[in-house]
Amino acid sequence: MRSPFAYMPRRGPLQAASPGAAVAYLGAIAAIAFLYSSPLVLAAAGVAATAAGLLAGARTAVRAALKMGLSLALLIVVVNALVVSRGETVVARLGSWPWFGQVDVTLEAVVAGLSYGLRAAVAMVAFAVYSACVDPDRVLRALRPLAGRSALTATLVSRLVPVAAADAGRLRDAATLRGPGAAPVGKAPLARRLLAGSLDRAVDVAATLELRGYSLDAPRARNRRARSRYDRRFYAVAALLLIAATAGKLLGADAFHSYPAIEVGLDPSTLAVAAVTALSGLAPYRRRGVSSSSRIARRTRQSQASAGVARV
Amino acid sequence: MSELAIRRGAAPALAIEGLTYAYPHASGRALEDVSLEVAPGEFVLLAGRSASGKSTLLKAACGLVPHFHGGEVDGEVRVADLDALVAGPGELAAAVGYLAQDPETQVVSTTVAAEIELSLEMRGDAPAARARAVEEVALALAIPHLLDRAVDTLSGGELQRVALAAALVTRPRLILLDEPTSQLDPVAGDELIWLLRRLNEEWGVAVLLAEHRLERCLAAADRVIAMEGGSVAFDGAAPELLAWADERHSPLGTPAARLFSLAGLTPLPVGVRDARQTLRGMGIGHPPHQASRRVPDPHPEEAVFEAKDLWVELDAGEGPRDVLRGIDLQLRPGERVALMGRNGAGKSTLLRTAAGLHKPVAGKLEVGSIALLTQNPSDYLVRERVGDELPGDAGTAALRAVGLEHTVDADPRDLSGGERQRLALAIALAGRMEGEQLPGVVALDEPTRGMDRVRKEELVALIRDLSASGALVADMATKSTCGAAVVVATHDVEFASEFAERVVLLGDGVVIADGPAAEILSGGWYFATEVARVLDLPGVVTPEQGAAVLRGESG
Repeated sequence: MRSPFAYMPRRGPLQAASPGAAVAYLGAIAAIAFLYSSPLVLAAAGVAATAAGLLAGARTAVRAALKMGLSLALLIVVVNALVVSRGETVVARLGSWPWFGQVDVTLEAVVAGLSYGLRAAVAMVAFAVYSACVDPDRVLRALRPLAGRSALTATLVSRLVPVAAADAGRLRDAATLRGPGAAPVGKAPLARRLLAGSLDRAVDVAATLELRGYSLDAPRARNRRARSRYDRRFYAVAALLLIAATAGKLLGADAFHSYPAIEVGLDPSTLAVAAVTALSGLAPYRRRGVSSSSRIARRTRQSQASAGVARV
Repeated sequence: MSELAIRRGAAPALAIEGLTYAYPHASGRALEDVSLEVAPGEFVLLAGRSASGKSTLLKAACGLVPHFHGGEVDGEVRVADLDALVAGPGELAAAVGYLAQDPETQVVSTTVAAEIELSLEMRGDAPAARARAVEEVALALAIPHLLDRAVDTLSGGELQRVALAAALVTRPRLILLDEPTSQLDPVAGDELIWLLRRLNEEWGVAVLLAEHRLERCLAAADRVIAMEGGSVAFDGAAPELLAWADERHSPLGTPAARLFSLAGLTPLPVGVRDARQTLRGMGIGHPPHQASRRVPDPHPEEAVFEAKDLWVELDAGEGPRDVLRGIDLQLRPGERVALMGRNGAGKSTLLRTAAGLHKPVAGKLEVGSIALLTQNPSDYLVRERVGDELPGDAGTAALRAVGLEHTVDADPRDLSGGERQRLALAIALAGRMEGEQLPGVVALDEPTRGMDRVRKEELVALIRDLSASGALVADMATKSTCGAAVVVATHDVEFASEFAERVVLLGDGVVIADGPAAEILSGGWYFATEVARVLDLPGVVTPEQGAAVLRGESG
């Protein structure tokens, strides 16, 4: 079964953008989540990442990431509430627990946990959108001139991960189909078998790379910065986000304190940063009704863009 | 002078002289003093049993042997005037393309366009030249609609075409193919062979094709090379190969050739058209096809498998899809059923649902007890001793049921391919047998991938034993009561004609035909045996049946 985070080619601005532009844009949203603690700004970053994914057509990836991210956020809230007793507003006294001692759940610890959890969830959604919308082939192509060996390793890994996942699924099925009289399969033999199979697969994939000429030192076509007509938009939004975040910090935005009592600053600068962050999620929007050119011309353009040919 | 003779005058696409090779740490040699030539634009078929050296020969021709695999090599290999023992696979890639059996491991990129383009990019071609080459090869292989797809959303047939496109995009002089149709259904397999023939004729690409199912590609070949024990045992034209194989009772014949041989007719035909022409020339026509009458059900016992209006929905990453759509099917003890249909028709899904791996979304499914062997038997083998996989009485009974009780102390890796398959089946059977009695249903999913004819005959014998629960079961007293319904999902029509008494044909998740094997396998074109296509007589599908008819008619 295909991973919900696997890259799916689609015709959208985020998919057409160069890897650098897409990484800058999604990275800026994730950076906001790590720079700010205010639940309002974090929620805005979450909205931005979710909107970006939905507008880019990565509905499955966003749904899966939200499910995982919010589950993780909930776990963080619970753990923080149980292990941190700071805060003035006690909402529950759970008595003395082994290892934990006296457990008092405070509103402040819950809100602090929510802030950490939101941060993790935003990062997960942003990464899921990256994974589903940014072509790994183009990322590797961009990396190849900078770090050939690393790109080769990344190529092998990016191919082997889905293959190993498929192998693991098959091995699990075979383990399920074993008769009740056969020796049960523990995790260790299964893992050993998977590892051995993965090594065989790696040899096959490496042979294919050899046949494709990966080891050649041929003069490669110049890979200048890959561009599309959407690049400027994503770079601009990323820059705007980072400028707004920095300016907000300098102006005292993000006035959020959990302990000893909750203080959520709702000053204009925080509201402005939250608004800009939330609106940045609209960057992958594309107007409908753009005329289409012939397929050959489109392919040529895509190929040139993917190979990094600068547009004149 | 023939076109081929003219081509032969040019430098050969492949020239091998005295090639001897042994893999690292191998006890024997994989190739022994092999000498052959492939002329530019020639279509050569490489035949031979499993482990006869076909794959190693192809790997030597593309430089993987010895550059990638290592080992000891002696002799000379020249590809389009390049010394393959000096130049590596990457340097040879401009002159030779290679396509292996499993398309899954031949793609390294995420999208189809990037995969096809990769070789050109590595070579340093300009983007415009790359775009044009990708477009042209995609058009030639009829895959332009796939260019923007992710490779992991493609079917096996589509993936094989993409891998072929990636091998052809550099416009090589020679293309090497190692059993490329083994994982394809008859339609996709035939399409691939026609495509190769067209590329061979129109582009002038020399083709060296290793294949077990000779009936599929013999008619397309200019020449056949047969390998035995790492050496060239035969090198000549297709009719000569058939005569050679017939004389030596070699398993390298085709069903049509066996039909003629058994009927005492000559010359042996290389394909359906050839056979029909010969028969017409002898004044042996064939009547128009008539559907045979239904025969009474030979298994009136109570069903051991029953599906009623069965619906199964799966999501392969592109949203949920109904893979099975209202299947009605019953299986009775002792029945041997071939489950056939195109790739993606729902064969594997039906078997996996019966075994509990998928849950139906609607309908009724009743299965008493089922043992399912999936497409990769080695997935079942996780320990280093057969007895450790199958301990206790249940294990011993299962080993006995597949005739492997003598291998208890062996390492599964030391068993032959056929024995490993039997062992995997025993693992699926263990504990599902009551004493010596087999479970109600034994299901095998594509068990003949990459098998030569001898191994297929062994598998046919095993299937017959399981359905009759006969010779291999020690307790003969239980023989008449413990036969399982054996259902086999397969693309191989010749294999189906050998073992099946009933064929269920699936199309897009629906049963489109269900009847006696002789009727179904003689009533179509793709899902029909070669003998059925030659004679077009209802109920005549095997060489033996056809020969009996021809002997009666010619007599």
